[in-house]
Amino acid sequence: MNKLIVSTSPHLYKKESVSKIMWMVAASLIPAGAAGVFIFGSSALWVIILGVLSALAAEALIQALTKRKITLLDGSAFITGLLLAYNLPPGVPFWLPIVGSCFAIAIGKQVFGGLGQNIFNPALVGRVFLMASWPKYMTTFTVPMNYDAVTAATPLALLKEGKLIEKISYLNLFLGNRGGCIGEVCIVALALGALFLFIKGYISWHIPFTYILTTGIFTYVFGPKGLFTGDWLFHISSGGLILGAFFMATDYVTSPLTGKGQIIFGVGCGVLTAVIRLWGGYPEGVSYAILMMNAATPIIDRYTRNRIYGTR
Amino acid sequence: MQIDIGQLLAIFISAVFVYNVILSRFLGLCSFIAISKETKPALAMSLAVLFVITMSSALTWFIYRFLLIPFNLAYLRTISFILVIATFVQLVEMIIRKFAPAMYRFFGIYLPLITVNCAVLGVAVLNIDMFFINGKAVQASFFYSVFQGVCVGLGYTVAMLLMSGIRERLDLCNVPKVFKDFPLAFIIASILSLSFLGFNGFRF
Amino acid sequence: MKKLIPEFLKGLIKENPTFVLALGLCPTLAVSVTVVNGIGMGIAATFVLLGSNIMVSLIKNFIPERIRIPCFIVIIATFVTITELFMKAYSPALDRALGIYVPLIVVNCIVLGRAEAFAQKGKVLNSIFDALGMGVGFTLALILISGIREFLGSGKILGATLIKGFEPVFMIGMPSGALLVIGLLLGFFNLLKSRKEKACK
Repeated sequence: MNKLIVSTSPHLYKKESVSKIMWMVAASLIPAGAAGVFIFGSSALWVIILGVLSALAAEALIQALTKRKITLLDGSAFITGLLLAYNLPPGVPFWLPIVGSCFAIAIGKQVFGGLGQNIFNPALVGRVFLMASWPKYMTTFTVPMNYDAVTAATPLALLKEGKLIEKISYLNLFLGNRGGCIGEVCIVALALGALFLFIKGYISWHIPFTYILTTGIFTYVFGPKGLFTGDWLFHISSGGLILGAFFMATDYVTSPLTGKGQIIFGVGCGVLTAVIRLWGGYPEGVSYAILMMNAATPIIDRYTRNRIYGTR
Repeated sequence: MQIDIGQLLAIFISAVFVYNVILSRFLGLCSFIAISKETKPALAMSLAVLFVITMSSALTWFIYRFLLIPFNLAYLRTISFILVIATFVQLVEMIIRKFAPAMYRFFGIYLPLITVNCAVLGVAVLNIDMFFINGKAVQASFFYSVFQGVCVGLGYTVAMLLMSGIRERLDLCNVPKVFKDFPLAFIIASILSLSFLGFNGFRF
Repeated sequence: MKKLIPEFLKGLIKENPTFVLALGLCPTLAVSVTVVNGIGMGIAATFVLLGSNIMVSLIKNFIPERIRIPCFIVIIATFVTITELFMKAYSPALDRALGIYVPLIVVNCIVLGRAEAFAQKGKVLNSIFDALGMGVGFTLALILISGIREFLGSGKILGATLIKGFEPVFMIGMPSGALLVIGLLLGFFNLLKSRKEKACK
């Protein structure tokens, strides 16, 4: 404890080091991944493995080439690879998570100078890149609990096309018995992980709850059959909202520092997600919403700074 | 005169997000990269650009509608537009210098640079392409043109604001030397452009 | 004649308008989706550069100092209009592809910049070679960027598929990709420059 640390904000001091927190977050994500593999089969497992390994390899390579310390053990590259894999459909070609992870680490993180300096969530940078580059692969989903990889559409996609005729049971949505990305479908598993993080105090309620609440309210108010007819429970439990709200929007580096700022962040994410889901061309807007709010975070921080005692 | 609200909304979303003047059309990129390092000059530049674009949209519309078309001089579009813009900016510069010398000093060289800001001429040309069909103005085209000018100015402001906040924050970090300043600015713009893709295909 | 060659060469690498002077980026990024478009824009810009540089250096002594910028702009705009009309008549497909970026050559910082910084000070012959150098440098930069973008973004070069089974990276063909490519290229050239400086020490 006698190291003099010079750093930019946040000048947070926690008993636990950054890397311990990272690995705890990684641990909390395991249930969601396990559920994804159970629901979608071995192809999902491969996507996860390839995503994580490529992220680690990319980080090690770049850090070696630029003569910086290799920091694989701090867990951040691991989490980036994991989160990217969780955001992919289970049946993607093997090279997709590899390219995505490399892009996420190189452009989403290392080009800014490494951990703590990136503005955007690296996993989401990777995902949005993949989505723009290979839309066909990124929107081909498989039927749950059918290891033969039969294709199916996600509930949100069906909703966007107006083909959601029969109601999908909420139980199915919660358990993950639906088409979707590997780590986003099983709400129960995600909730377990999030609960663990809450109990340990690694994430606070500000961002996830305001995010989910705002999305829910918005989709309820602007319902399909007129005002106040929206199916908010459906919207909250579909797509990547739970995964995004608890595990990606809450990333320390890319979200505001103060509680007030975090609430603004959460509301912003919620509005953007709802707007894209309701009226945009894409069925899901979580990734874009979070990235846009990441961009606004420096400004949010600037205007929600805690006043230093004694100044006006 | 019928003004279609849906069309207005489409223009707004399109100019600010989907086809953002800087991040998607690349108009005004030079000044964007150069001035977005700090928030105060960035905001000042954005407001100036917003004002100039709006006024020049109106002026160029008039020139096109009442001078160029009636006299069959449509091919003089480029020359006349850029002259109008240059003159207008010169006028604004002189007025600010006379009545608000502090602001004039604050803007410095940025004010005359607005003349060569691709966004100003670009929007003028865009208005013509979008709201004139076969040399005839579509209904309410003046309103749409000016409105598009305002929205493009807003889009410019949004991009500038986000970018300057980000770059100010990055000033405190140790970015790899080869990427410092310009290269990283472009990469940030690239990611911003990617995230704005979320608004593609907007329909009310 | 010997003195004129360096005027030409400097526009290619040492003072390359795109990568070193960072001028005229708007059309560079917008147009560089395919190599054909890149070459087309390069030729158009070179023509305008030549014309305006010659004109400005010819009549520089007759232009009053205070209104020189508007005068330059009128001269440049004239040549751009000539280019526009020519393109519309003889290659309408290219004109459609380049869109609003053809008239925007008027505000292309390269053209105005060379007129201001060079043509008004030097002799006609020097201005010609300077214009040619800058124009060719600009075109080469365009070819580089659009080559990368066309190949990675659509798997083809000049319309011909090179590698079978290559899944093109659509993002590179999008505006976002243009920004990324130029950001990485600038970083790469910075790296080369710093390596060269280290080697010289």
